[in-house]
Amino acid sequence: MLDSVRNNKRIVQGFLVLITIPFALWGVESYIQNSVSGDEVATVGKVKISQQEFVSALNQQQERLRVRSGGNFDSALFDTPQVRRQLLESLITRKLLTQQVRKAQLTVSDGALVNAIASIPEFQENNQFSKSSYETALSSQGLNKELFEARMRQDLAVQQLVLPIAAASIPGVTPTGRWLSIKLEQRDVVEAQVPSADYINQVKLSTDAVKKYYAEHAKEFELPEQVRAEFLVLSTNALLTQLSVSEEEVRARYTADINRYKETESRRASHILIAVAKNAPTAEVTSAKAKAEDLLAKLSKTPGSFAALAKEYSKDTQSADKGGDLGWFGRGLMTKPFEDAVFELKEGATSRAIRTDFGFHIIRVTGVKPEHVKSFDEVKLTIADELKRELGAKRYAEAAEPFGNLVYEQPDSLTPAAEKWKLPIQQTGWLSKSDKLPFPLNNKKLADALFGEDAVKKKHNTEAVEVSPGTLVAARVLEYKSAALQDFAAVKEKIENELIHEAALKLAIKDGEDKLSRLMKGEAVDMKWSTSKTLSQSNAHDLPSQALQAIFKARADKLPAYVGLTSHNNGYVVYRITALKTARPSQEDSESHKLLERYDQSVTEEEVAAWMGTLREQFPVEIKKSALEKR
Amino acid sequence: MATYDLEEQEQLAELKTWWQQYGNRITSIAVALALAVAAWQGWQWWQHQQSAKASAIYSGLQQAAEQKDTKRVKELAGELIEKYSGTSYAGMGALIAARIQVDQGDSKNARVQLAWAADHANDIGLRALARLRLATVLLDEKSYDEALKQLVVEPPAPFAARYADVRGDIYVAQGKPAEAAKSYDDALARIDAAAKAEEVARHQAYRELVQTKRDALGVSQ
Repeated sequence: MLDSVRNNKRIVQGFLVLITIPFALWGVESYIQNSVSGDEVATVGKVKISQQEFVSALNQQQERLRVRSGGNFDSALFDTPQVRRQLLESLITRKLLTQQVRKAQLTVSDGALVNAIASIPEFQENNQFSKSSYETALSSQGLNKELFEARMRQDLAVQQLVLPIAAASIPGVTPTGRWLSIKLEQRDVVEAQVPSADYINQVKLSTDAVKKYYAEHAKEFELPEQVRAEFLVLSTNALLTQLSVSEEEVRARYTADINRYKETESRRASHILIAVAKNAPTAEVTSAKAKAEDLLAKLSKTPGSFAALAKEYSKDTQSADKGGDLGWFGRGLMTKPFEDAVFELKEGATSRAIRTDFGFHIIRVTGVKPEHVKSFDEVKLTIADELKRELGAKRYAEAAEPFGNLVYEQPDSLTPAAEKWKLPIQQTGWLSKSDKLPFPLNNKKLADALFGEDAVKKKHNTEAVEVSPGTLVAARVLEYKSAALQDFAAVKEKIENELIHEAALKLAIKDGEDKLSRLMKGEAVDMKWSTSKTLSQSNAHDLPSQALQAIFKARADKLPAYVGLTSHNNGYVVYRITALKTARPSQEDSESHKLLERYDQSVTEEEVAAWMGTLREQFPVEIKKSALEKR
Repeated sequence: MATYDLEEQEQLAELKTWWQQYGNRITSIAVALALAVAAWQGWQWWQHQQSAKASAIYSGLQQAAEQKDTKRVKELAGELIEKYSGTSYAGMGALIAARIQVDQGDSKNARVQLAWAADHANDIGLRALARLRLATVLLDEKSYDEALKQLVVEPPAPFAARYADVRGDIYVAQGKPAEAAKSYDDALARIDAAAKAEEVARHQAYRELVQTKRDALGVSQ
């Protein structure tokens, strides 16, 4: 009933990804056990995970994230205890599996190993395994052949091991069938609100209730201490604006770096693709070729019709919409035969039918930009900018220490430093420490200093704090208000409102519950019922999830059935279930199919976790918490 | 000829009597040891051979499973059990074969494979898994008592949640909502305990699934 192997392949793959990631990344040394002892982060059975192994895994993970996230990467964000714990967990998983492979004496024959390596696309040329690309690929990764093969063998053995667990679950027709009918069941529901607003008139607060609340909850009405501050920012950018570079300097840089401004040849081309798979039967290939020749004939008659033909016939739908246009590209971006054709043709010329892995292409070259060197005028602004930036960074490095010293030595004013480096003093409004502080005060060290005794009482400058690389900030308190209790008069109304609302809510709930129990007894109750909605577990309309859950949890063997619920903002709601529709699940419809897949997947995940748990019992895992936190 | 002084002669004589007394015993122990080492190595070699052969069959089984070639799957799984029952591959193959057979509606053979693996697989986790899947197959065949009987065997602790879950499924099929509710509650409690102990959130989807089945019983806590 379930599309077993194909579905589960994904699970297996996911699982393997989980365990191969550490591998692929720092590779081989994880095979060599117990290189260092004594400082292990964890022990798995008889195998240790050394501090060194763990840290290098961590560094590589960070490096990967840094590359993925581009420039703004805060390594501290990705070095949390959870991240470390998870990374360690995947290392442990790996060690457990390799030990189990050994214990179960699983073997991978040379033949199987060869097949697996030969099927990796990176090692192929023209769909054939190529020894030279294999060796090049390995050496470019800095991998040794023997170790790589040992690693592959290990991976294949692990695959053998997990297959019966991760790709052979039997969730059962009976349980999945029931689950499906639960998930697809529909209930018709009307609702009646018991809004707390209706009960406000009935609320009578005792005369001293507000005062009493104020006295008992004094903490809530405290205003935190506040400061008004000024600050000074020394940064590369701030220094940059004061700098200028001469045209001679820019020209000198241009001449020195001339290689950077060379651009290799790029071309623009359009194509029409007649798709045919690379290993399609000969008959298909011939017919595709004939079709391409036919198009070529049409083109030679009316050369201007390329765009129209592309739109009509090209199977590369993205470019077809643009008349086949692929835009500008250089060498190394297209498949080899395609690239060769494009770079051989003259501008405006059309190719013959070119065969690639995708099928036959008819290519027209629509533009040629030969290799050229960008002129000085084209790049002088960029170079000037670059020079300024370098100079700014240098100035910053020179200024950082004296800046720190000056604000420390003349603690009563920021002005000397401001004048020395020509920086503007900026002022803030009233701030309290618990607020979200504006830049650059949103740095914890700086905020602590600003609200510290020295700054607040003596009005001294804070120390200069590097709030981000290349940005130093010193701040000084201008005015200070200590923490204070708000006046009773100022908060009286607010408290009163809150108390009234609270009491009204209580009344609404009480009345709502009372009505519910009368409804359940079958008595008639006067309520305003909404129009009927048909709900299912996957379609809640706009009901809160809590309500949906309660409605489907309710027994509905006798209709109408009732459910009541408190809603904290508004009061109480009563739901009446008026009808029940049991769905007839069929495997064909996509929703059922998706649900079944989900069931299988969840069960598989659980079984894999349980099985991994039994491995942990055989190879006891010990984690050294202290070592885990060390850097 | 060398001459020995008195003390040396005495020592030599002592050595000779000692050898006469223990010589045979020592020789036989040495021989036995050598034999044991040879036998151990032979055993290792033989096991490795068995394992290598079984591995090849297992690869074939894997492929046949991918192509849904039920007949070939059955043959190869049978061969593993018959000839290589001592290797880990026998149990592993049985589990894969069972799934393919269930998919193709052949629950009878699936049952046989799983029952064998539940008793004979090399790995304790695999045995627990085979028993669990066997119970599910029996449930689908409406052999409820048989199915429950499988789950009476105490599984390794990490499997307890899944066992309780399937027990709940069986009780539902038997029309015993109160027992089913108890079993599902048991499963939920075990999932929560495991999630807490592992400090890693990974049981969430499965928990929801069990909770849904539990809630739909309409039995209060």
